[in-house]
Amino acid sequence: MQSKRREFLVFSSMVTLTSYLDADTHSRLEKTFKEVKNIIYEVQKHMFPKQNRLPAAEDLPVIKFLYETMAHKSFDKDIREFVIEGARELDNRTEGKFSSMSINDKEKALRAYEEIEYGASWLSRIMTLTMEGMFSDPIYDVNIQEQGWKALDTTGGQPRPKMRYLDV
Amino acid sequence: MYDVVVIGSGASGGAVAYTLCKAGYKVVMLEKGRLIKRHEFSKDELAYCRRDLVTPNLFEEYHTIEENVDGKWVATPTYESGWSFWNGNIVGGSSNLMSGMLHRLHPDDFRLKSKYGDIEGANIVDWPISYKDLEPYYDMTEELIGVSGHYQKHKYEPPRSRPNFTQPPTQENDVVKLLDKSCKALGITSLVTPRAVLSKDKGHRKACYYSNFCGSYGCSSGAKGSSREALTMPSLATGNLTLLSNMHVKSLKSNKDKVESAIVVNTITGKESEIKAKIFVVAAQAHESARLLLNSANKFHPNGLANSSGELGKNLLFSGGGSGQGELHKESLKEIKFEELMTTGLFVNRSVLDWYFIDHWWDGKFKGGSVEFMFEHQNIISRARKHNSENAKLVWGKALGDKVVKRFTEQKSIRFEIFNDWLPNDNCFISLDKTHKDKYGMPVGKLRLEGHPQDVKVGKYIAKKCESILEEMGAKNIYSSISSSASQNLVAGGCRFGNNPKTSVLNKYCQAHDISNLYVADASFMPTGGSVAYTWTIYANAFRVADYIVKQLQNDKV
Repeated sequence: MQSKRREFLVFSSMVTLTSYLDADTHSRLEKTFKEVKNIIYEVQKHMFPKQNRLPAAEDLPVIKFLYETMAHKSFDKDIREFVIEGARELDNRTEGKFSSMSINDKEKALRAYEEIEYGASWLSRIMTLTMEGMFSDPIYDVNIQEQGWKALDTTGGQPRPKMRYLDV
Repeated sequence: MYDVVVIGSGASGGAVAYTLCKAGYKVVMLEKGRLIKRHEFSKDELAYCRRDLVTPNLFEEYHTIEENVDGKWVATPTYESGWSFWNGNIVGGSSNLMSGMLHRLHPDDFRLKSKYGDIEGANIVDWPISYKDLEPYYDMTEELIGVSGHYQKHKYEPPRSRPNFTQPPTQENDVVKLLDKSCKALGITSLVTPRAVLSKDKGHRKACYYSNFCGSYGCSSGAKGSSREALTMPSLATGNLTLLSNMHVKSLKSNKDKVESAIVVNTITGKESEIKAKIFVVAAQAHESARLLLNSANKFHPNGLANSSGELGKNLLFSGGGSGQGELHKESLKEIKFEELMTTGLFVNRSVLDWYFIDHWWDGKFKGGSVEFMFEHQNIISRARKHNSENAKLVWGKALGDKVVKRFTEQKSIRFEIFNDWLPNDNCFISLDKTHKDKYGMPVGKLRLEGHPQDVKVGKYIAKKCESILEEMGAKNIYSSISSSASQNLVAGGCRFGNNPKTSVLNKYCQAHDISNLYVADASFMPTGGSVAYTWTIYANAFRVADYIVKQLQNDKV
């Protein structure tokens, strides 16, 4: 049961101590995120492609959601760093070429990354952060017109939230 | 000055405050969390189930967990592990978020030692009260909180003074036809689960509207029997209750004989103050109640308040057992129509008490447990996530779409949860961590969480029986998981009640042996936990304790 969550931190080096996202941290995150945004988005698109029974990542603002989620002060700071570090690691492993790879090569690269526990945890985290947007209440602006829910022939409960926890 | 300070607004705090306010006494209720009103609750899965909206941030407030690693006790802070021991820190506590599947204890749960004798490595004792003492309060809870159900005679169903429930059962999914028939075929009796959810309007509370998202969420009709809806609202209406939310109690200040004040901190402003009263009732959930008393040590009580016995924090209880699940598939469904199975919101409402006590020519004679049946939680994100892997590899792309869509549209999972005794033992207790402090500067609780091997044995015995029910129902991919891991949402013990001040913290009225104006009203008092969820017993016992406090106040014995 112990450390069920944080085993993946073996690579992580930039764990910050504050639990608040002050202005400084925020601008640092914004800057850092810019460097990895593209590769994370490419992974999301690979996991949720077009011609799928689920909505396609490129049709929904899944990357914006991922950033907003991570940038909120309630988000676990260690996981925040992990998402960024894991993306850098994938970038290193693919020598900066991931985005321009063919679908087959992307598949190979991600499956190879999955072979190591760290990579498997990171991919799982990216999928979770994508599903959280796609299947959450439409108020979070990703599950547009309930596309995610409709794909699963399901719907959220009543009453729906009137505001996002991010804005509380 | 207030008559009574109640620390915590969950099931027990709500029950104590209700009785006292109705009797005309001035009560202040201190809740460290905020107030979320009925109309503010929503079914926002992200907010309620995937972020810390109703519990503290673990980097600010946490516990440390001691586990046995190769013969050594190693403590890990919960901000490291993510294993939170907070449960609904809002007005009404976790009673807002419960599923409300409730049972009374059985009369033999009050006399486990006399009935079954000692078990090696377990600290089993009889209770200083009997089922008879608690029955009127179980009944009172049933009526006030609004427990719906239908009484069926059964050898392990405890006796009741009211012939049947005043609230009929909540509406049921057709799956109960299949479940009941399957149980019958196996000679097993399925019973209607008493549920703290109203099937009919009751005063200011509206009947259940079958939202499909009940457990883990606040109720938007007031149907769920949270202490906030059922007790705190009426208490406020008496004009005798002062409810202070965002108010955390750091410690209690006492002299040799009496608690004098509660030292509180406003969680928004950080401002500290002192609140005085004649009587102090601690109701902060078992592990936190013990921590508060330990953190209140002073020169008169160097080992913590009410701890002359050295028993404070000891014999902490969780729930033994575990859960299991099977999938009902569209193409192989028997007895009922698939469309009916897929109808959302309706309850399964079935439990089995057949194995509460086991006395079998081959298996032996031992204390067993209870079983609840339910659908898999209907949360959309978590269900989608759960089905994103195969052979320990993630599934993505087209395969993911096919798998998840099939899962949502052609199958429905039925689950069982097993509750059996968590045997009290020397390696399950709470103490103060010597190095870790919370954001208010107070030592955090250090939890040592070892279970007794008997708990797992009993859980596995019952799980096998439950799996056979799912098989008979035609379910696929059946599995169960029984572990000795502590259930962080079901906590009791730590301040045992008993007649002997040398071996217990509280007397039979849950009044501290050492300090006459100090009571602990939550599940802390339980020396053994029984084999059902604690909530009904917590409510009932708190009403009993409150009656005693009223008598003390009436007779001016404080």
